Amino acid sequence: MASSTTSNVYIHVIDDVINKVREEFINNGGPGESVLTELQGLWELKMMQAGAILGPIERSSAPKATPGVTPVHDLNVPYEGTEEYETPTADMLFPPTPLQTPMPTPLPGMAQTPLPGNAQTPLPGTAQTPLPGTADSSLYNIPTGGTPITPNEYSSVNDNGGAPEVKPGPGRPSPYMQPPSPWLNQRPPLDVNVGKQTITKLCVIEDTRQQMTLVYDITIFCFIVAYVEGREEGERGASHQPMTQDFFMMSAGKRKRDEFASQYPNGGYIPQQDGAGDTISNELKVGQGSNTQHNTTIAGAEMSLQGGRSVSRISQLDGPIPDPYDDVLSTPNIYNYQGVVNEDYNIVNTPAPNDIQAATPAAVTQNDTVDDDEDEPLNEDDDDELDDVDQGEDLNTTHLVLAQFDKVTRTKSRWKCTLKDGIMRINNKDILFNKATGEFEF
Amino acid sequence: MATFELYRRSTIGMCLTETLDEMVSNGILSPELAIQVLVQFDKSMTEALESQVKSKVSIKGHLHTYRFCDNVWTFILQDAHFKSDECQETVSRVKIVACDSKLLTQ
Repeated sequence: MASSTTSNVYIHVIDDVINKVREEFINNGGPGESVLTELQGLWELKMMQAGAILGPIERSSAPKATPGVTPVHDLNVPYEGTEEYETPTADMLFPPTPLQTPMPTPLPGMAQTPLPGNAQTPLPGTAQTPLPGTADSSLYNIPTGGTPITPNEYSSVNDNGGAPEVKPGPGRPSPYMQPPSPWLNQRPPLDVNVGKQTITKLCVIEDTRQQMTLVYDITIFCFIVAYVEGREEGERGASHQPMTQDFFMMSAGKRKRDEFASQYPNGGYIPQQDGAGDTISNELKVGQGSNTQHNTTIAGAEMSLQGGRSVSRISQLDGPIPDPYDDVLSTPNIYNYQGVVNEDYNIVNTPAPNDIQAATPAAVTQNDTVDDDEDEPLNEDDDDELDDVDQGEDLNTTHLVLAQFDKVTRTKSRWKCTLKDGIMRINNKDILFNKATGEFEF
Repeated sequence: MATFELYRRSTIGMCLTETLDEMVSNGILSPELAIQVLVQFDKSMTEALESQVKSKVSIKGHLHTYRFCDNVWTFILQDAHFKSDECQETVSRVKIVACDSKLLTQ
């Protein structure tokens, strides 16, 4: 149950909001005063059920007892004492029946008057004049624009979509992570998917060698076009490997082969230096002085495929399988891609080619996960249980503090923060604070 | 003018959201107007917390999780102790969500 000060602040906020939106309700063909009053009544009712505000709302003019009270009330004077009239009970103000039934019409009993006894004014005690202090309504005009700042947490709530609201029943506060209705998600500023990339499986591609390849990419059509164009360039059939490299280079730009992929500006095509009679490979081969073994094999391949760039008929030239501990062979392979690439892929024993074979990362990782499944559990559910620890005990255990932070610092494992203007919901109580200091040990 | 939608997750904010939800579903209220009400609630709540509340609270506890993303700090504390002039509370687990106060003044 809320304290009296908290309750008063809440009542003040409710009144403030209702007063500020009254214009919007009345002018420009809005729904009207009655709808506004119904909104306030429902809002207060829910607050009372949640225990956030104390029982009867103490406003200056009584609903029934003093019908002669003038509606004009000077707000510069504090509210009159409560002993002047008997405080109406919640049942008098809000008939209980509408709670259980859906409300196609306004609450019964309120059809005639917004609140029983308040025939004239929507809010008892509210002056005809605007509240003092709000004369400069420039601050509180309700602009249609403006970008609300949405905490990241809340945005994730919105991402849940318009799930139907869960009614935990009267007397129980609703869960805080309740996603709002779909109409709330229609607002453009709340679109949290802007800027994020959605990754979908693009297609399953079958290349000339009847191999199946899964390509993941951003669903933007230009990449599909680029891919198709790339294929149509009469590819040097060898492997789909350069194509996937192209893909990743163009789309994500995060692959390790970006550096050397950029050396080939001609549409991103990476020529196969498999020892075919490429002039490029010839020139680059000259540059490698250290690998005499590879040079001989390349020369042999060159002679066999002289002048031909028919990549589909590249003979497999398996160089000597080097000893894994032979640094002379393994180390240069990493850095000299020009000309010795093909042999490297056939070498299984050296650790170095594994880095080069990053062209098909999907396949590699898939193998890894399969192994994990077989060998040991993935432990996927460990963290989920921790999250649900409190949820199962009681619906009110989602203790929450919402505030603004001034400063957050850390020294080793000691965290300190200064917060301000916060609402705390703890142990089923609402506590407000102007300033808070936190000291946490991580 | 930007507002913090942070306070909509509080009790009072959720009550308002539910009420507006019902009214929009029933067709009594238009969604645009409901959003205007929520924006006004953001402003009123922020202003009320600044001007009407004067209490100080101190929080101590074990920090289980911390996260800073989009200028929002999220802490999950365990065995946290809250102390204020009026009361003291202890909870086994609490989540603290805090937005940057400087963003509002920009």
